Amino acid sequence: MNIIEIENLTHRFSDGTVGLDRISLKIQAGAFVMITGPNGSGKTTLIRHLNGLLRPTDGCVKVAGVSVQKDLTRARRLVGMMFQDADSQIVGETVYEDVAFGPENLRLDHGQIHERVALALDAVGLKHFAQQRPHLLSGGEKRRLAIAGILAMEPRVIAFDEPFSSLDYPGVKQVLSQILTLHEAGHTILVITHDLEKVFAHAERLIVMQKGKIVRDGLPAEIVGDVEAFGVRAPCASYLGMEVRSWLN
Amino acid sequence: MAELTSFSFHPGTSLLHKLDVRFKLLFLILISLVILSSGLWGLIILSGLITVLAIHSRMPLKSGFKEFRLFLIFLSLILGARMLTVPGTALIEIQSMAITRQGLVSGVLICWRMVIIALLGFLLVFSTPSSEIKAAVERILKPLAFVPGKRIATMMGLIARFIPVILNQARETAEAQRARCIENRKNPLYRLARMGVPLIRRTFEQADRLIVAMEARCYSENRTDSALSATRLDWTALLIVLMVCAWILSI
Repeated sequence: MNIIEIENLTHRFSDGTVGLDRISLKIQAGAFVMITGPNGSGKTTLIRHLNGLLRPTDGCVKVAGVSVQKDLTRARRLVGMMFQDADSQIVGETVYEDVAFGPENLRLDHGQIHERVALALDAVGLKHFAQQRPHLLSGGEKRRLAIAGILAMEPRVIAFDEPFSSLDYPGVKQVLSQILTLHEAGHTILVITHDLEKVFAHAERLIVMQKGKIVRDGLPAEIVGDVEAFGVRAPCASYLGMEVRSWLN
Repeated sequence: MAELTSFSFHPGTSLLHKLDVRFKLLFLILISLVILSSGLWGLIILSGLITVLAIHSRMPLKSGFKEFRLFLIFLSLILGARMLTVPGTALIEIQSMAITRQGLVSGVLICWRMVIIALLGFLLVFSTPSSEIKAAVERILKPLAFVPGKRIATMMGLIARFIPVILNQARETAEAQRARCIENRKNPLYRLARMGVPLIRRTFEQADRLIVAMEARCYSENRTDSALSATRLDWTALLIVLMVCAWILSI
């Protein structure tokens, strides 16, 4: 079953620049997809259409069979999004309050909000930080907090925009391990990155974008040899003809 | 980004942290009104009580004082104006201007009152999450049909969310400019422009990113508000505050 269906999606910015050029794409529920491409290739623009943060100039985006434009709240509940800058995603003054932000917007009652926040914090291992101020958390912990904020909305798809940028090695391992746990729990995972090394070993599908178009789409091992032609560095091991190993091993 | 600023909510378990925000707002208004008509002894008693509360709440007085620097400049201007304009017995005379004893006393009292009111506000912000302040404002404004309470409360919440971010960005921008010897430029207007333009630009960019992140989490004005409930502790505190106010007014 396809959880995301995109038909002829075009997005033109107000200055006339084409962000996306007639993109068609289907993503199966439970898939782990890596989207890559150089800066300005349209990766972020593409995922921002999945929950209606950007509106298509032309074409249609459906999430779980329903057009995003028809029911924005539903789309935003089903597609959680983790942004590149975790700090700008923090809304609450405590970790608890930040995770509760989404459920409060869904107008759930206090009991349900508390239950969802407790479950989400437990899932990312931040339960003991509930009363901590978010700005005092480490980089990896802030990303996990952002994931908890998304989980509290009970999404089916989670899109990560450059989830490893400016993280140290332990931070990368924490976030990667969290992403894999979410995938095992049945979430559809989309990871946008120009740094293939960190998720390559886990992704089931690789999509390469350039100038607003999808230029390659397939199994990571089969198309990794082409990525350099599109301004993306392939994982080191692939140059040596070796298998790309997980960062968690 | 480590410690942001003392002017933000710090989670805790002190008496102030436990009080209902509506009562804290009421106390702030009551005490501020009493301060305006209290004399020296009233100010001494209130200062003592507020200091005890601040220490009990574990408020970072040292770093808070540092962030009070601009406010102190403002106070010194008020003090100077009072000393020079209130007529009375001259303490020091410089040409046609005289610093009077009455002016000095009146200036000190006014500044003292303003410091106490600022400290009360500081204590409120320190011990209350902005979401609760927002919820309280929303409830207070609810009976006024012509006032958009939810919108005002949301704006207050966002301002509270942004003040520490702006201060932090100002600090980072200033450090980056000091690293490139901005201090060698003596023209304050040049330095202000060099500081202000990137700071405003970064603040707007940050605001844009925050808006997108809020939209992605279904932000709307009609959301579940923080649960506010008055307990016996709040009513006891109200009784004590009323008694203290009456005592100070009677001195």
